Amino acid sequence: MPHRLSSALWFCAPFIVLIVLWAVFIPYFDVNPRLFPHLSSVVQAGIEGIQDGTLVQHISASLLRVAVGTVLALLVAIPLGVAMGVSPFVSNFLTPLFRFFSVLAGIAWIPIATLWFGYGFGAITFVIFNAVFFIVTYNTLLGVSTIPIHVRNAAASLGAGRWAMLTEVLLPGALPNIVTGIRTGLGFAWRGLIAAEMIATNVGLGYMLFVARDFYRTEVIVLGMIVIGVLWLLLDRLVLAPIERATIERWGMVRRA
Amino acid sequence: MKDLTIRNLSKTYFDPYAGTNVTAVHDVSLKVEQGEFVCIVGPSGCGKTTILNMIAGFIPHTGGEILVGGRPVKGPGADRGVVFQSFALFPWRTVLENVAFGPKMRGVRKVEREKIAHEYLALVKLTEAAGRYPAELSGGMQQRVGVVRALANEPDVLLMDEPFASVDAQTRMTLQEELTRIWQEKRPTVIFITHDVAEAVFLGNRVIALSKGRVLEEISVDLPRPRSWDALNDDARFKELSGRVLQLVRSA
Ligand SMILES: Nc1ncnc2c1ncn2[C@@H]1O[C@H](COP(=O)(O)OP(=O)(O)O)[C@@H](O)[C@H]1O
Ligand SMILES: [Mg+2]
Repeated sequence: MPHRLSSALWFCAPFIVLIVLWAVFIPYFDVNPRLFPHLSSVVQAGIEGIQDGTLVQHISASLLRVAVGTVLALLVAIPLGVAMGVSPFVSNFLTPLFRFFSVLAGIAWIPIATLWFGYGFGAITFVIFNAVFFIVTYNTLLGVSTIPIHVRNAAASLGAGRWAMLTEVLLPGALPNIVTGIRTGLGFAWRGLIAAEMIATNVGLGYMLFVARDFYRTEVIVLGMIVIGVLWLLLDRLVLAPIERATIERWGMVRRA
Repeated sequence: MKDLTIRNLSKTYFDPYAGTNVTAVHDVSLKVEQGEFVCIVGPSGCGKTTILNMIAGFIPHTGGEILVGGRPVKGPGADRGVVFQSFALFPWRTVLENVAFGPKMRGVRKVEREKIAHEYLALVKLTEAAGRYPAELSGGMQQRVGVVRALANEPDVLLMDEPFASVDAQTRMTLQEELTRIWQEKRPTVIFITHDVAEAVFLGNRVIALSKGRVLEEISVDLPRPRSWDALNDDARFKELSGRVLQLVRSA
């Protein structure tokens, strides 16, 4: 526990230095607040946003879109990835396709998404869905196809039927890859979300940033950037990374994604 | 436990690179009685794994038949337990859960199957390791788990493909002695595959010498049990039998 505390402190240290520099130098050089805000005005904007509920509203709109898009993507991606991974032919055939879309996924989908779904929840959720779907499908497929054939044979000769093979071997065997896929996919999704919200909606963190720009409210812009970064770090460090570590390290499995 | 009959078994692979057929197993016939320990020995590439994989049902055979207790083999099944050279443990399951896996597939209740698993782990002195994950164990310990995982499912036939080939020499000798002890206690029907002549003679009631996919000769091993390396290292009969098998395998 003391070790984790000190590593958490070390993680925060550069941010603390940055904040101190900010608090000292922006007033010292008398920077125009239309170019960059004072620390105090950002704190003020944060407090106001919490008090009048707008900040919470933007955050929850963004998180809801990510949650819905991600859950939908996982519901389709994992079964599909498993189905593709069990057949070497199918997985070899489709791997290049999924690799291509994994890289493409995210922001590049915004124009077509707004054409298909109009501006709003549908288009943004679609962008999130794509960012997560292709990477998780690809990683699931990769995870399943790299389970050693001996391990599958061992399960079969211990009496595992189709269902047990799926739940006892294929899914746990692919889990480290699936988790890595979710982590990478959510990283893309989060970036895509902010971009999409700047274009395609009237609520959410991306929208909050973009509108603030029109009024030269740099303190709201910087507040939004901080919230976006902090939310991602919390999600990644406190939820995704520990799950990934637990599966990969505990099981002594090589990282394969 | 049941007997195993193999009649005129053969296997032809298609080699996609050369575009030709390769016959890895020619017309092999073999009968293994219930409770017998049979070793198949031969140089690498002579078709040992192919034979074992066909018996296990992992790959189809292209000729002949395989009967376990009189019933033809169609695909893998719990009646034939397999121990792999690469251990093939489930990395996401603890040692205890690995050993309890077979009973779980049979629908044995959790309390009951964990009791079974504990009994088998005690047999190989791994009680302490029950809660650990395979990656936390040495190779020798992992293969002990591999052996009792197969045994805990009480298969009719236990199939072992060079199970001790990837552990160090000292550990291998210990594992071989443990296996003969367990075999005497539980009396499973065993087919044990190896390229190591001394190992085959040490373990088996019968050694079958294989070369280029054909059975060369069968040799009965009449050494007394329990067997230990201390006793057999300088045993004249052991040396004589090993010498004969070695000669067979090398001359082919
Ligand atoms: N899947 C396969 N496709 C084509 N040839 C194979 C395949 N598996 C094995 N063989 C060939 O069959 C022969 C016997 O192999 P194997 O049974 O693995 O031998 P051993 O276990 O005795 O070393 C070898 O010549 C090998 O190249
Ligand atoms: Mg082999």
